[in-house]
Amino acid sequence: MTRVLVADDASFMRQMIRDIIDQEGFEVVGEAADGVEVVEKFTELSPDLVMMDIVMPKRSGIDAVKAIMEIAPQAMVVMCSALGQETLVMEAIQAGAKDFIVKPFKPESVLTTLRKVLEKES
Amino acid sequence: MDLAKYRTLFLEEATDHLAEMSRALLELEKDAGNAEAIDLVFRMAHSIKGMAGSLGYDAVTEVSHVLEDRMDECRTAGRVDGPGLGILFRGLEGLERMVETVKTTGEGPPSATELLAELAAEPAMPEAPPPSPPAAAHETPPKKV
Repeated sequence: MTRVLVADDASFMRQMIRDIIDQEGFEVVGEAADGVEVVEKFTELSPDLVMMDIVMPKRSGIDAVKAIMEIAPQAMVVMCSALGQETLVMEAIQAGAKDFIVKPFKPESVLTTLRKVLEKES
Repeated sequence: MDLAKYRTLFLEEATDHLAEMSRALLELEKDAGNAEAIDLVFRMAHSIKGMAGSLGYDAVTEVSHVLEDRMDECRTAGRVDGPGLGILFRGLEGLERMVETVKTTGEGPPSATELLAELAAEPAMPEAPPPSPPAAAHETPPKKV
């Protein structure tokens, strides 16, 4: 099982991700509601993969990616973005994120992206 | 997808977000440059847009998207101007009505063409004032030294 940390300030989105990836070879080991909590949970839980929203309170997703990369340069982070956030997505990729998925989520597309990232990085 | 479960989550979270937006807009009425309030309204609009998009509530998605874009411009400018604040309040009221429709009917609200036109009618931030004109020729010339 791939251990996943999910970060989004909307519990709606965290639940949706959980429902998509649970039982598909992924286990959600933790959730975070802001950019500070995700870095803390990353340190505490050492997940295999992080799924993280770009727009979050306290610390943006991009700043959180940078902080996680400082802790673990090989960390696998996949950004959750919305249409129109292409510039922010590019910034997150430059900061070390491995890939991104676009809201509204299509389950098959989410799973394909996660599998692709895991395959590439293994 | 368990629509009923997600509809309930949407109603709970969107209602909370709209209440937070309302409080933040009232803060901006007192202090147009309150960066925390500007950021909060931006994030709440973004979050509502994401949830509504997942449920196919296109009218909610469109209005929250416009509000998000307006707030992004305000973030760049570092303030909300007076007329812009009025438009944000109207957008908030529109979203509140739409969430109420979802609550009472269990369905997505109809398109909000008039509200969208109203939101688009005025720019989020007025154009920067033109530079001051050069000193007129008839003004007192500088004294010779």
